This record gives sequence, structure tokens and C-alpha cells, in this order.
Amino acid sequence: MKNIKSKLAISIVFLFSSLFFSCQENEDPNSISQGEMIVKFDNYVGNQNMVIDEVGSTNYRYSNANGQEFNLTRFGYYISHVRLEGPNGEVFIDEMNASADAKQIKGYYRVVQGESDTYNIHLKNIPAGQYNKIIFNLGVKEDGIQEGAVGGILDRAAGAWFWNWNSGFINYIIEGHSPASLRDENRLQIHIGGWKNIPSADENPQRFFDNNVEVSLPFDATVMVSETMRPSPHIIMDLLKVIGDTDLAIQNNIHSPAAAVPFVQKLAEAFVVDHTHQ
Amino acid sequence: MKYNLTTRDRLIWPALLFVVIVWVGCVSESDEPILSLYRFEKPSHFPEPTYTFQNNDVNEKGFNLGKMLFFDPSLSRDGSVSCSSCHVQSHAFADTWLHPFSFGVEDREGVRNSPPLFNLAFQTEFFWDGGVTHLDFAPILAIESEIEMDESFENLVHKLNNHTQYPKLFKEAFGVEEITGPYVLHAFSQFMLLMVSADSRYDQFVKGDQNALNQEEIEGLLLFRKHCESCHREPLFTDLSYRNNGVQKTITDLGREAITEVAQDRAKFKVPSLRNIEVTSPYMHNARFEGLLQVLNHYTEGIQEQVNIDPLVFKNGKPTIQLTDPEKEKIIAFLKSLTDDNFINNPIFFNSNE
Repeated sequence: MKNIKSKLAISIVFLFSSLFFSCQENEDPNSISQGEMIVKFDNYVGNQNMVIDEVGSTNYRYSNANGQEFNLTRFGYYISHVRLEGPNGEVFIDEMNASADAKQIKGYYRVVQGESDTYNIHLKNIPAGQYNKIIFNLGVKEDGIQEGAVGGILDRAAGAWFWNWNSGFINYIIEGHSPASLRDENRLQIHIGGWKNIPSADENPQRFFDNNVEVSLPFDATVMVSETMRPSPHIIMDLLKVIGDTDLAIQNNIHSPAAAVPFVQKLAEAFVVDHTHQ
Repeated sequence: MKYNLTTRDRLIWPALLFVVIVWVGCVSESDEPILSLYRFEKPSHFPEPTYTFQNNDVNEKGFNLGKMLFFDPSLSRDGSVSCSSCHVQSHAFADTWLHPFSFGVEDREGVRNSPPLFNLAFQTEFFWDGGVTHLDFAPILAIESEIEMDESFENLVHKLNNHTQYPKLFKEAFGVEEITGPYVLHAFSQFMLLMVSADSRYDQFVKGDQNALNQEEIEGLLLFRKHCESCHREPLFTDLSYRNNGVQKTITDLGREAITEVAQDRAKFKVPSLRNIEVTSPYMHNARFEGLLQVLNHYTEGIQEQVNIDPLVFKNGKPTIQLTDPEKEKIIAFLKSLTDDNFINNPIFFNSNE
């Protein structure tokens, strides 16, 4: 009888412990200290600060290498899959999650010129240590599209840059006016998107273009992340690196992956880490 | 060996069972009854669905909300057309034969025949050119198209948030205080995912009921398998590929080329399913044929040499498919056995808006 009671007791303990553990969320072992980093994005057109003008504005603030004047009425880009690397093998991979619930979205960011709260990307839960390089994807890859409808900055109804006819996001958007463009309202629209690749095989040509771009930027100095140290790399993006040589009389209406390829090849070079605040 | 249930067994097994139940309960967190009219069930003879159910599982409230949206003309810019205007259940959710091209707001005429809606959980690309790569995104294109509902998705969601009923219904279905785009799309998908058509006489036949098809229809099935199956593959009756079957006399619609941006895809369109084909006249993206005999005649003698013409239907300067008139009749008899009366009359899809 005693034996049965002890078995019963063991069973009950086992039962409740399994109840407890089975519903408990996994927690990080708190032994690893963590810190944060704020990555600042600052957009320029050559050496001029980027300013967004009203649609219809004829105030042409900028000009390209061909002497073609233009202004900007909308500019921005998506960033995802952020990764940090350090000199001693430190690696931080920003968590990614695409969800209908805007609060559950992780790892997707959008820099929108004119909305200053979007200029800073706040990275959290970075293992303490040294870092000297940031790598990110410019755009939204398949994992942000093929999970289906997503919320927040990826919600078309909330202003996400999303193609309805060829599902996918506009990774990098340029809109404005240029007297060089003979379209109605001298319109300038360069929408760079595309996430799929079907490579060429046999006599078949490549179908679709994955216009996501990996940007890899060394810091000017190694920075330290800890519970008390929150460094801030300052990234500068120069639009003239992308459209400086473009003939805006011809290339003023880009709306598909293949047409965007010539621009995509220049995107990675438009970004540079200017300096880092420790 | 005779098995004796010892005291230990009596205690351990219920305890283990309980642990398993608790564990399963934590994983699935489902309080829905397992058997329900409003659950998606894969027909036994179908492939695995490709829809992302893990992000949007179908339930009664979400389904009914999707249905209410589907039948609601206030979603269009001027309140004149709903999804159901061009997707009619008695025609397997294609448009009626009266509208070879559907009419959108202000009677704007479309440019391609409205496709039927069923078995969407098994498809990976949508519309005739396959430009939409997930079912959730399909409604956006119809809503925003100037020749269809001509409403921005942004404004549609704004209208729903100011509606007398929708905010409450979205809260009940999805637990959200504010309606946002993805939940509207999830509701649409829930309604469309249950549009499963797998109960035609053909289906009963392949599942073992030898009497479901008559002799002529069985002969038609065998002819179909010989001449049509390579593109219209069972059980979906499409291989989901894009092909030019020569249906445009002169190419005005680029079809798949507009999506892939290569000339090799010019004039290619998605191979449509042939399920419910009897009720989805007219046929082809350009609605060229009213009757199934016209379609078969096109394949046997109508096709002309053209750029990207599919070698399965046209080779060495002539159509590849050869059929006698009696063979055509048998194939047509078989195609009519693909009509799924239970689907096109299923009351769960009936309009229940006021």
C-alpha cells in the first residue's frame, strides 16, 4: 500500500510538473547579458539633404550628372534580415516574423523620407560584445510575401508599397518630378521590386528577378554593446549613386522587376557607414 | 503472454494520458469542435493544399465574415458591384454566360473572362497570368482594378472601420479592435478556401463507385486521358502551367509575359481546371468559345502556327490532337460529369446579407 501511495505521489508530481513545463514558454538562460543598438539612416542627394516636396511641386532642388533637374515627392526603402558581426566571431541575427498582427511583426523596417521616426532602427537583445560590421537586406524577401497577408508596415491598406498585379513589395521607391520627363506632370516614378528568381535553363531565359540586395557595411570603428553601452552607427544613403547617371528623359517610369535591374546593381553602393557613436 | 493490468499500470497510464492531453492542448490551443461544416478538409484523392493555414485557419466566424464581404457591393468605389457580381455560385463562381467579360463600376467592361473560384487552397498562383502568388492577395487586385471595383484597398478598410457592423464582426472573428488589411484578406481567404469542388460524378467514380459514370462517359474519360490529360491533369484538371493554345487569332493580350517579362511567355495563360466546365461558358481567357464542341474543334482543326504555340497541341505545322466526331461527343459527355452539383448548390455559400 505504501508502494502504491508513493507511486501515486510520483505520478501526481510528474503530472503537475508536466502541466507546468508544457505550458511554460522557453526562456533565455539569463546568463548572457544583452544590449541594444540604434542604427541611423540619413538620406542625401549628392551632398544635399533630402527633402520631400508636395506632389506637383516645380521646385527642382536636385540635378543629376546629365544636368537633369528633379525633385522628390516620395522616397523610402524596406530593410530586413539585419545582422551584426564582430571581430571575434560575434554574430547577432535580428529575429524575423511576418504576421497579420502588426505587433507580432519582427525584423522588417521601413525608412520613409519625411517621417523622422522611421530613420532609426532599434535593434534589441544583442549579445554583449564587440561589433564592426552590419549586414542587411534592402527589400522584402519571399519570407515576407509567401506567408500571406501581413500587417503593420507590410499592410497595403496602411500604405505598404505593394504591387497588386505581381505580388511583392517595392523594395526601394523613388517618386518625384523632372522637367526631363515628358510624362504627364513631368512625373518620375522608379519602383524597384521583385523577389523571385527562376534562373535560365537550356534555351530558356531567366524569368523574374530577385531585386533584394544584401548591403554589407563595415563600421569605421569597432563598437561595444553591453547592458550599459548602446552604440549608434550612422548610415548615409546617397540617391545620386543610384540615379546619378540615369537619363530621366527615358528612365522615368519603372514598375517591374526586369526594368529595375540596372538600378539594383547600384543600390548596395549607395549606402555607407559615415561614423559610429559609441 | 497474458497481460495483467497492475496497480502501477492503472495509475501510470491515466497520468501519461493526461500529460499527453495537456501537451496537445498547449500546442493546438483549439477550442473548435473537430468536426464542423466550416473546417477545411482535403478530399482524400487530392494533393496536399498549399495555402498557409498555419497563419489563417478557417472557422465559422471568419468564413461568414468573408462571405459578407464577398456579397457586399459597398466595397466597390461607387457601391455598384461586389465580388459576387462576377463570381456566381451557380456558375462555379465564374460569371454568367451573359457576361463574356464582366462589368465593373460604371459598367466598365473587363478584358479577360472571369475565372471560376474553387479548389483555391491547392493553387499557388492566381488569375489568368498567375501574377498573384498567394490567395490572400487575390482580392486586392480585383478591388483596386479600375475596370473592376476601382477602390483603393486602403479606403476600403477605412470604410469597413466606419461601418455599423463590420468592426464588431472582425473583433469576434479575429479578436482585433481595429480592422486592418490582413484581417480583411484573411476573411476573404477563409470564405474562398472552403470552395472545394471534389464531389462530381467523376470523383465518385475514381473513389470506387463504378456506376457513377455511364459507358459513354467512361469512354470519354479514357479519351480524355489520352488526349487532354498532359495539361489538364487529374485530380485538379490542370497542371498549373502556362501555355499558348492559340486561342488568340492575333496576339493582343501578352498574358504571362506581362508577369515574367520574357518574350518566351507571350500569349501564355494558365491552364484552367475543367471541373464544372459545363457551367462556366464561355471558354478561354478571351471568352472566344461558347460551347465545348467549339473548344474541341479548335484543338483538332482551329489552331494555327503562332509564336510560342504549345507543342503539345500544335507541331509540324498541324494540330496534334486528332478526334472523330463520336470521340468528341464522348469527351464532352465525360466533361459534363465534372459538374459538382453539391458544390454549386451548397447553401453555406448562399448570400446571407440583408
